[in-house]
Order: sequence, then structure tokens, then C-alpha cells
Amino acid sequence: MSQSLSATPLPYSSEAHQQAHQFLVEEAHLLDSYQLDEWLGLLCEDIRYLMPVQVTRVDGALPDFQADMDHFDEDLYSLRLRVARLRTGHAWTEDPRSRVRHFVTNVRTFAGPNEGELSVESSVLLFRSRGDNSEAQLVSAGRKDVLRQSVDGRYRLAERTLTVDESVLRTQNLAIFL
Amino acid sequence: MIDLDTANLDAIGRAVSDGFIPAHIYNDTELFEYERDRLFATAWVFVAHESEIPSPSDFVVRRIVDDSFIISRSDDGEVRAMFNMCLHRGMQVCRAEKGTAKTHRCPYHNWIYASDGRLVGLPFHVDAYGGEEGFVKDDQRLLPAPSLAIYNGLIFMSLDPDAPPLLDYLGDFAYYLDLYTKQSKGGLELRGPQRWRVNANWKIGCENFIGDSYHTPHTHASVVDIGLFGEPKPNKRKEGVLYHAGRGGGTTYKLPTTGFREGLSYVGYPEEMIDRMQTSWSAPQQDLIGSSGFMHSAATLFPNLSLVHNWPQVDDSGTVTPFISLRLWHPISESETEVLSWFAVDSAAPEDFKERSYKAYLMCFGSSGMFEQDDIENWASITTTAKGTMARRLLLNGRMGLDRDNQPLVAQYDDFSGPGVAFQGYGEHNQRHWLGMWNEAIQTEPRPVAVVAPGAPEGSL
Repeated sequence: MSQSLSATPLPYSSEAHQQAHQFLVEEAHLLDSYQLDEWLGLLCEDIRYLMPVQVTRVDGALPDFQADMDHFDEDLYSLRLRVARLRTGHAWTEDPRSRVRHFVTNVRTFAGPNEGELSVESSVLLFRSRGDNSEAQLVSAGRKDVLRQSVDGRYRLAERTLTVDESVLRTQNLAIFL
Repeated sequence: MIDLDTANLDAIGRAVSDGFIPAHIYNDTELFEYERDRLFATAWVFVAHESEIPSPSDFVVRRIVDDSFIISRSDDGEVRAMFNMCLHRGMQVCRAEKGTAKTHRCPYHNWIYASDGRLVGLPFHVDAYGGEEGFVKDDQRLLPAPSLAIYNGLIFMSLDPDAPPLLDYLGDFAYYLDLYTKQSKGGLELRGPQRWRVNANWKIGCENFIGDSYHTPHTHASVVDIGLFGEPKPNKRKEGVLYHAGRGGGTTYKLPTTGFREGLSYVGYPEEMIDRMQTSWSAPQQDLIGSSGFMHSAATLFPNLSLVHNWPQVDDSGTVTPFISLRLWHPISESETEVLSWFAVDSAAPEDFKERSYKAYLMCFGSSGMFEQDDIENWASITTTAKGTMARRLLLNGRMGLDRDNQPLVAQYDDFSGPGVAFQGYGEHNQRHWLGMWNEAIQTEPRPVAVVAPGAPEGSL
């Protein structure tokens, strides 16, 4: 799991921060509008997409996540498979499709870790409504992303670590992406 | 204790014995109280695995319905479980999920308990109680689990102090439980659990895993479509044998191979793991795969522990890798269940196998698993629909595999080396077996259990 970024973020007026922020907002737009193939196009070939299981410990003992158990530990192969499944017409949990909205906020951008990369922290709140007779579900999480600039100058997502704010999820499954 | 609506209970009993299921049982407030006060007050319930608490002072906190227990390994290496309620004012002593602690300190008045539950700290014992005269501190402990037993590292608890021995309870299901939990002498190691809450009645998952091979081709069509798991095609599932034995039952797939090693190799086990299985399992256990030619898949041990063993394709090259998962359908209410889902792997397995198997698990089962996602959608829908007035007028048909005279449509399958009752093809024999145990449990009034008053001066009660 990435270290907590304690350094001072780049100024919000900096071009790098603005590019990172725009990336996250545009990404949220693709997820909200179910353009999942286009979303896959934002990911690096070596993407690592991780959501560790959080756990409540005594006296703030660390770590507060399970080192060896995740909700997601994905590479591009498994993410593509998940998207392909939703397209089969047999993915009942998203038929009818959830109405989702990703609220992305508290964006902080840092240089690095490598040349041509940005580390970006953000908060994401997912609102998910299913059908007409169940209550909407929320998933709140912190994100630590690494964005990498490609040769075409565009940023792509190289790493995402999601710190979900519940140890017991209150959503029926993670047939969605955060 | 709740009022006994014997007419309602009688009607449920009659329906279940005829293979029908009163639809309201999947969302019935009163019935949930029967389940809590009768079934879960007596059954052996899985709570944890020894590998979750490997060292002294390691603990996890788990519940049986509403009762929270600290399950801890004490300094002498023994696994103990104690009711997580301070003897003084009833605080939940430990509010973490897991950790390592030599003592558990109540945040209210600083009473302190050792990892084996003994009361070791009571502030101002003399000033506040007059010492031992007023409060007998020696040998006091958090209320121990009424019954606790371990099988292959699986820690079970019963709230009944007179529970039958665990081995008697498991009965012949132990034969099958070994296939999941004892691939080597060292047994399993568990990771997790992932925990999440679903708006579904707890019974539906139990019944699904014990024998519903009929849902697989349709509910899970998408995972076949994308090439994740090739087996659940309608004709393949139909060739599987459904068995029930002792307090459990499960589903199998017919292997396209003959021979013990060939069958395990087909589902992706490396040679060295097959060697260990050959040492660990008895000849009759090996015969299930070897001479009968079946591979165990989903199973349920009554009441609410399910197991799964599948072998999906986890990468582009077509590698098939098996995984095992244990899951507990922990009842929150008549309409809500917390799923606790563990990844389990043989502790002696090679590291690269463990990692591939973990990946296979994450893709298929658990909170993000592509199999599980569609199951939960269905179960939440059943629960919602079972709530109303009309559901009280509907007996669901749970008679698959029975003729009009309640006789099996097909003869029992002879060429099956496992114990118990086995049928090939589709049928709800196992679900009826589970519902039979459920019905018996909710129909049986619990024996009274003594009340205790720790610290009471001699002769005061």
C-alpha cells in the first residue's frame, strides 16, 4: 500500500494539478455514464487496482487493513474480464443497471514517484441506486493514484489504491468501479 | 421467550415435510426469533479458523446472531472463546475485530481481563466492594463459550452447554469437510474475511450452496460467456452428483478424467499438492475423485457455513487454478445477512500456487466475485418479495427430484464412494435435507440454561 503523502501538494494553479484533476473528473464521467470500454482505455497496461479490506483494531494499532486480503486486487486482464461480463446480457446484478454517481473531491497532486508520473490523492463517494424498491447504497473511499504520462502526452492510470471507509461494506457487491 | 404460535409452526412443519416451502419463511420477523432462540441457541456454529489466531494473545471477535465473543489463543496455546460483555456493567469489552492483546480492558470502569478471559484487574476492589467478602474476584472470568470444539482447525461454538460432541453433530459430512479443509496434515490457512451486508435472508445462501446445481447454468451464464469458468454448462452440471450426509451436503462435477491424480491435475493442482492429498485423505475419500470420478464443488454444513471449490481460468494463457472459500451467512435480521467470506488455501501449498489461487478466488467469489454478484441480486429479490401478505398464501415448490408419491424420480446413485445419500442430476434433495434440519431446530423448545452471577458473595443468591 502506498505511503501516506505528507509532503506539500503542488499548487492548485499548477498545470500538473489541473491535468490530474481533469483526468479524475473525466474518468468519473465515463464511469457514471457506463462508458466502461472507454474507461479501460484510461488504464496503463500494467495497472494495479487495489482495494484492501479494512479492519478495526484496538488503540489505533496499525495496519488498519488486512495485509493479505482485498476486495479488489486487479490487473488489466481481470478488469477487462469484469467489464466484458457486464456486457454479456447475463450479468443480473447490473440488469437493470445501477444508477451511479461518483463524487470526486479533495484532490491533491504530488510530483513523482517517477519521471513523467503524478501521485494524486482524492476522495470518492459512490452513490448507487438499484431498481425501484431498495434503498440507495453509498461507498466512501480514499484514493491514492499514480498517473503516468504516455508518449502522446496523455495521462493514464498506473496504480490505484482504494481505502474504503467501512470494514463491513453496505453494498450488495462490487459490480462497480471506484 | 417469544409467544408460541404453534399453528404457524405446525403449518410450516407439514409443508416442509411434503417438500413445500412457505414463502414467508424468507422474511418473517417472528420466525427469525425462533431461529435465534432455538436454532442458533443450540447448533454448532463455525466462528473462526485456528490460522486466524496463530500466536498467543491473538484474537478475533465473532458473533452468533447477537452474541459477540472474543475468540482468543491464550498463553498456554489453547483456543478459548468468551462472551464479550463486561461482568460489571455490560460493556462490550473488546471493540476491535482482530488483533493481539495480552489483556482486554473495559473502557467504562477499567476492569481488565486476560486473554483467557480471567478477571485480572478490578479497580478499588477493597474500597468499592470490601474485597473478596463483597465481590469474589478469584477465578472470575468473562462467560466462556458454553461449548467449543475444533475440527481440522475450524473453530465451532455452540450456545448449548449440553451440545452433542462436534464429531457426532458433523456425522458423515466430516468425510466431505476433509476434502476442503485437510489437503495436507497441516490443514488450511485462511485470509480475510471480506465482510459485507446484503438485504437477503440468511437461509437462501445456505440452501443454494448445499445443492442448487440447477441455478448454475442460468444465474452464472455470464462467467461461462467470458471464459472464466467452463464447467457450469447445463449438461455438465446435470452429470454431477448431489449428496447429503450428516449435517451437510453438497454438489459435485463429473470429471472427464479417470484416476485420482488425473482428476486433481485436471482442476489445476500441482503434483506436490496431489502427493500431500494422497497422504492426508483416506482411501475412500480418494475414491470419490479417483474411482467415482467426481470433484466436490459447493457445500453447506448446517446451519450457516458454506464451502466452495471451483477451478476458473485466471489468465490469458488458459491456466486453470482451483480455489477454496469458506463463507458464513451471519444472520442480522429476517431480511439482512452479513456475509463473511474467507479465501482458504492449504498451508503447505507452494507460494506461487497460493497467489494464483487467491486471484482465482477474488475473480469468482467474495465481495467483488463475478459468480457471487449475481447470486446476491437474486437472493435480495426473494427476500423483498417474501415480506408481504401474498407470500403467506404461497407454498413454494421445493419438490424437484420427487414423484407424486414422494419417491425419488431416479434411483440413488450407486457408483459413489462417499457416505450418505447421492443422486445424479437435478434435484432438491439436499435443500430438503437442510430445511428438514432447520424445521426440527425451530420446532424444538430449548432446554433452560442456568443463569450465573459472577462475584456474588457466598449464600447471597
